[in-house]
Amino acid sequence: MAEQKKLHYYILFKTYTQGMMMQELLKKDGIKSRIAPAPRAIQGELGCGMSLLIEPELIDAVRESIAKTKAEYHDIVPYETNINPGRNRFC
Amino acid sequence: MADYRKMWEDLGMDLETHDQLCAVLPTAFGDVYLSQENRPEGMGFWDMVVADVHGIRPAELIEAQKNGQKVFGTFCVYVPDEVIIAANGIVTGLCGGSQFWVPDGEAVLPKSTCPLIKASVGARLGKTCPFFRIADMYVGETTCDGKKKAWEILAQDVPLHVMDVPQMKRPKDIEKWGEEIKEFVKVVEDFTGNKITAENLKEAIHTINEKRKGLARVYEARKAENIPISGRDALLVSQIAFFDDPKRCAMMTNKLADELEERIKNGVSVFPAGTKRIMLTGTPMAIPNWKLHQIIETSGAAVVCEETCTGTRYFENLVDETKDNLDDMIKAIADRYMGIHCACFTPNTERVDDIVRLAKEYKVDGVIDVNLKFCTLYDVEGYTVEKALKEAGIPVLGIETDYADSDAEQLKTRIQAFVELLD
Repeated sequence: MAEQKKLHYYILFKTYTQGMMMQELLKKDGIKSRIAPAPRAIQGELGCGMSLLIEPELIDAVRESIAKTKAEYHDIVPYETNINPGRNRFC
Repeated sequence: MADYRKMWEDLGMDLETHDQLCAVLPTAFGDVYLSQENRPEGMGFWDMVVADVHGIRPAELIEAQKNGQKVFGTFCVYVPDEVIIAANGIVTGLCGGSQFWVPDGEAVLPKSTCPLIKASVGARLGKTCPFFRIADMYVGETTCDGKKKAWEILAQDVPLHVMDVPQMKRPKDIEKWGEEIKEFVKVVEDFTGNKITAENLKEAIHTINEKRKGLARVYEARKAENIPISGRDALLVSQIAFFDDPKRCAMMTNKLADELEERIKNGVSVFPAGTKRIMLTGTPMAIPNWKLHQIIETSGAAVVCEETCTGTRYFENLVDETKDNLDDMIKAIADRYMGIHCACFTPNTERVDDIVRLAKEYKVDGVIDVNLKFCTLYDVEGYTVEKALKEAGIPVLGIETDYADSDAEQLKTRIQAFVELLD
């Protein structure tokens, strides 16, 4: 598996229930999202927490869906993610 | 991204150090989980739990404490959850699966202690695990020498009850274990202020059995030729089961199993056809120890079963639900738990029989016998395990490792060579 370094969008939430609700609403609109721990660098003063990871090609559809459903969220942050299954760095 | 900092502060945690863990978890999770294709949709629940692993469940536990419930932190699959649940207590696992906690453990323990013990003690003393801060009482056991001495250190910091697990499984040992459970009933009653009755114990036995059945269904799906779930995902399900509410765990595992069974019907696999099937046997893998699974599953093989305490030993065999009086129920609990085959027992031929049986049930191509460094019991038993597997014609690779990243490349080379030899 090759290294996957690319820009993603992270939707951040004040509570995980907002995140779960958002994922359901996006799913109804046929938009794929993945639950991921929010990278520390984009969390500001807040602690560990869940986010929704969005592929860049889907972000416009996500924004349209949110405008329609008024789903609650804290912020949408572009962030270059380096997902590398061969890195062998664990925690 | 809820703000749990206030909660962690109130728990007396070291926020600055804990923040370093928050920084590395997303990267490790991304590499191990987000890199996978075609994961079951049901895994979203476990992803959510991990993403907020020190937030969501700790907040639930604190809320329960406000309502008068007591939280018991446990370290081992021999501690009978049923007793705690019957007294309206809550069982939680405790942190212990990361190198992050090891240095704080080594501050008080010899370096030649297994990483699971060092990490557990380090997580408590370093104040970087909310579960260790929340638990009102820890329940230890006598399953190894390192743990027995670690309890003495932890007991200086928090109430701790130790259950004396027998060393052998003769009838008199099983009877003694029943007496130990009776004593535990008294400890839990006194601590919670709630009486354990035949009625609430019967209900608790049912609750925990249902959780076991849910986990068993997920594992059953892994026996299919088309493997519907990765070993990494199955491991995560099992790891979180130690922390979750047992009824929710049963519900979510059954929901996941529904999806996996549908995948099997539709021939959906997360691995290419012909991927070699590996069973792991040996020492437990506490969250977030995903190291060996990740190395194996990025080396052209799939993990289809774990004969470990974070695998089949956790859920196989149910407590007999037909008993109606307290003494018979406690005996049924004692019998079930003495059916777990840990290397701390002598002799322990049942475990070897289990490994050969499971290797056949899960149709594995090879077994990796993994021991956490300095776990003498599993290390020594490895000789007998590997001999039995060879006699059964099942290829086996013995590995000793810890939580550090430093041996990952070497392990990958060895595992790749082992997988290639399975052709």
